[in-house]
Amino acid sequence: MILLEINNRIVEEALTLKIKNAKEGAKPDSIDITVADFDGVLFHISNQNGEKTKVMVSISLKFFKDLQEHGADELLKREYGSLLVPTEDGYNASVVVDLENIPSNWEETVKKIGLLKRNCFASVFEKYFEFQAKGEGGHKRAVIHYRDDETMYVDAQKDRVTVIFSTIFKDDDDIIIGKVFMQEFKEGRRKYQQAPQVLFSHKDPPQELQNTDARVGDNIGYITFVLFPRHTSAGARDNTINLIHTLRDYLHYHIKCSKAYIHSRMRAKTSDFLKVLNRARPEQKDKEKKTITGKTFRQT
Amino acid sequence: MQRLAGHTPAVIIDNGTGYTKMGYAGNSEPQFIIPSCIAIKESASVGDQSIRRLGKGVEDLDFYIGDEALTATSYSVKWPIRHGIVEDWDLMERFMEQAIFKYLRAEPEDHYFLLTEPPLNTPENREYTAEIMFESFNVPGLYIAVQAVLALAASWTSKQVGERTLTGTVIDSGDGVTHVIPVAEGYVIGSCIKHIPIAGRDITYFIQQLLREREVGIPPEQSLETAKAIKERYSYVCPDIAKEFAKYDQDPSKWMKQFDGVNTVTKQPFTVDVGYERFLGPEIFFHPEFSNPDFTTPISEVVDAVIQNSPIDCRRGLYKNIVLSGGSTMFKDFGRKLQRDVKRMVDQRLKISEELSGGQLKPKPIDVQVVTHHMQRYAVWFGGSMLASTPEFYQVCHTKADYDEHGPSICRHNPVFGTMS
Amino acid sequence: MSATLKPYLNAIRATLQATMCLQNFDSQLVERHNKPEVEVKGSKELLLTPVTISRNEKEKVLIEGSVNSLRISIAVKQADEIEKILCHKFMRFMMMRAENFVVLRRKPVETYDISFLITNFHTEQMYKHKLVDFIIHFMEEIDKEISEMKLAVNSRARLSAEEFLKRF
Repeated sequence: MILLEINNRIVEEALTLKIKNAKEGAKPDSIDITVADFDGVLFHISNQNGEKTKVMVSISLKFFKDLQEHGADELLKREYGSLLVPTEDGYNASVVVDLENIPSNWEETVKKIGLLKRNCFASVFEKYFEFQAKGEGGHKRAVIHYRDDETMYVDAQKDRVTVIFSTIFKDDDDIIIGKVFMQEFKEGRRKYQQAPQVLFSHKDPPQELQNTDARVGDNIGYITFVLFPRHTSAGARDNTINLIHTLRDYLHYHIKCSKAYIHSRMRAKTSDFLKVLNRARPEQKDKEKKTITGKTFRQT
Repeated sequence: MQRLAGHTPAVIIDNGTGYTKMGYAGNSEPQFIIPSCIAIKESASVGDQSIRRLGKGVEDLDFYIGDEALTATSYSVKWPIRHGIVEDWDLMERFMEQAIFKYLRAEPEDHYFLLTEPPLNTPENREYTAEIMFESFNVPGLYIAVQAVLALAASWTSKQVGERTLTGTVIDSGDGVTHVIPVAEGYVIGSCIKHIPIAGRDITYFIQQLLREREVGIPPEQSLETAKAIKERYSYVCPDIAKEFAKYDQDPSKWMKQFDGVNTVTKQPFTVDVGYERFLGPEIFFHPEFSNPDFTTPISEVVDAVIQNSPIDCRRGLYKNIVLSGGSTMFKDFGRKLQRDVKRMVDQRLKISEELSGGQLKPKPIDVQVVTHHMQRYAVWFGGSMLASTPEFYQVCHTKADYDEHGPSICRHNPVFGTMS
Repeated sequence: MSATLKPYLNAIRATLQATMCLQNFDSQLVERHNKPEVEVKGSKELLLTPVTISRNEKEKVLIEGSVNSLRISIAVKQADEIEKILCHKFMRFMMMRAENFVVLRRKPVETYDISFLITNFHTEQMYKHKLVDFIIHFMEEIDKEISEMKLAVNSRARLSAEEFLKRF
């Protein structure tokens, strides 16, 4: 698995199971599952008002307020329409699937609900992509505090949309590996001309963010994506959003996989060293040996 | 169960030999139950296996786990866990990569982790686990719990709060092997553990064999699946085989069941009459000689022997709290029959000692109780889920700061907790 | 093998062979104790003058000899940040498994990356020349392995970046 998936498997599987059961005519039983997703997102799958035939999926994002400023509500309304229900307490959006009234294209519905998190994120991108398409520059920069101490900035100019991520490396070693990765992101563009321009800076925020409250520190990295009209056009938009909103997790996932890979290498090498060291031990001569038939004998 | 303020739910992963159960704390069932296997690409070139696997690029990301691994073509399927103990750490580390990032979709830096280990796991293995979790995945906190202890904790659901104890005998029966594990105050009495070479798979084989002798309509390549389905759907434990046979013979229509299957190749439906298999299958726990000529001790005798081996001061507690865990203990009335058989043995022993004393000593009767509850199938996972949603869990966890300060050896010991709540 | 590596390793091999002349020696200070003198440094007359062999500023070994034990500490080449953490990780990984390595010290001597402690008990049970071979093999391989790991990390980073960017 190289790219991370954007849909939530647990939500999809839980809903599919419920719907399939209902279709087979089994009695619906109650459900109450709380699961997490990347970026501190929580899903709660439960029964609306305790009615077993109404399966409600609620999502909570710590940064939903930031997204609401950029039209998250409207986007959810557009995407989910009649599925939306009054929001459950402590969550930011809720949708309901009625097991007594399953739409014929329920598989699509399930897929869509699995994408709740992605769609919440999409609102801010769509808004700024739209600004750019209309050629409106100079709008206030969007600031999304998508994790406790990591922030995303989106800015639209006439000819481009800039997306800046700040990310924290929890481990000292990660900073160094992370730097290697970010460097490669910067250089990767040479090979793929259609890709957006990528810049990165370590410790200090890039120029665009000077004089803001952007954090400075040894363990902070900033990645800047410069998206051109070919990325933000109506056709390419969805793909761009799918990719860019997972970037932070993608980066950290690969840093972790690299460490796992280094571990495997070290295990291999360590066992190799051990073999060499064990050559220094004289072979035990008078050990009992076994033949293939199970008889034992002593080599003298 | 409520989410703790400020904490994202902990992740519970129970790696078994056959299946891995994983999910978030606070839920009553694991979110995923997948085979603990991993499908990797292996080049055929010569050389040491571990070196051979190291590619130059990102080949090590090209793999599948769980059900996807079993269906993937042109990959070789490996099982990194044997007899409950991790044998191949390279593969285990990669298994965890996907378990976390693809299935659970958790950023490991945000969640505490509770992992499980079999009884008698080595301290080194705990260190290796810690090394992977803290160094590769940067988890903020880790707790490694013994499966048997979690199974005991899971049984609290069927009890009063005041009776919550971590002393008891755990009978853990999965697919491969059955363990009888005495636990005193949260610590496993390692020297007294006994294994029974009879578990779910053996029951399936036994039913398959019975069916093969009688039913001809089953497509041979499906006979194992059919036997498994019959075991899961219709089997139960009877109090007395002879009487049960008589019951079936008197009124077959009442007891015989019918199993309908479909031939996967020809799509022809077939039916199987299910008769004595219903109670004979699980009976091999109590009469192992039916299926295994080398092992003839019934499970009740094993349980009794385990407790008799244990220190004298905890035997009453062990008899009083015999907890079942694992899918193969789910048969109806399994607990009841076990309780009856153990009780019979214990009473017999007390009677003899009373007779020996010439009636002068009247021993206090021993309370034998087998606890069954509805979380039995994933008891270990559920116990973990329960404990990891208490605030105490976050206090006993080893944190990344501790790890960076002291090294992996801190994970050798994981303090017992939970009894006081 | 580069021009300076061979003489460097040859010098180490010769020094080790000479220092490997160990004998059983009871502690002079504590009755019925037998301690590696190079570690306790209890009496001056039992210690040999330590030898440092350096290839350049960063790569060097310290060989300390004594009557019943010798200690060899190695500073491994670390050209940049990434080599530094890889080396650090690797050394820690090996020292975690010191139990299996018998002659590996659980902690390196200060300012070095890894140390081995060879006592007379080791030389009595194992071939001395093979022990020397092991140290030399280790030194040859470790540089190679670290630079290979660095390359691997770089190529992984490149691949994953490309994989991401080409989807746009």
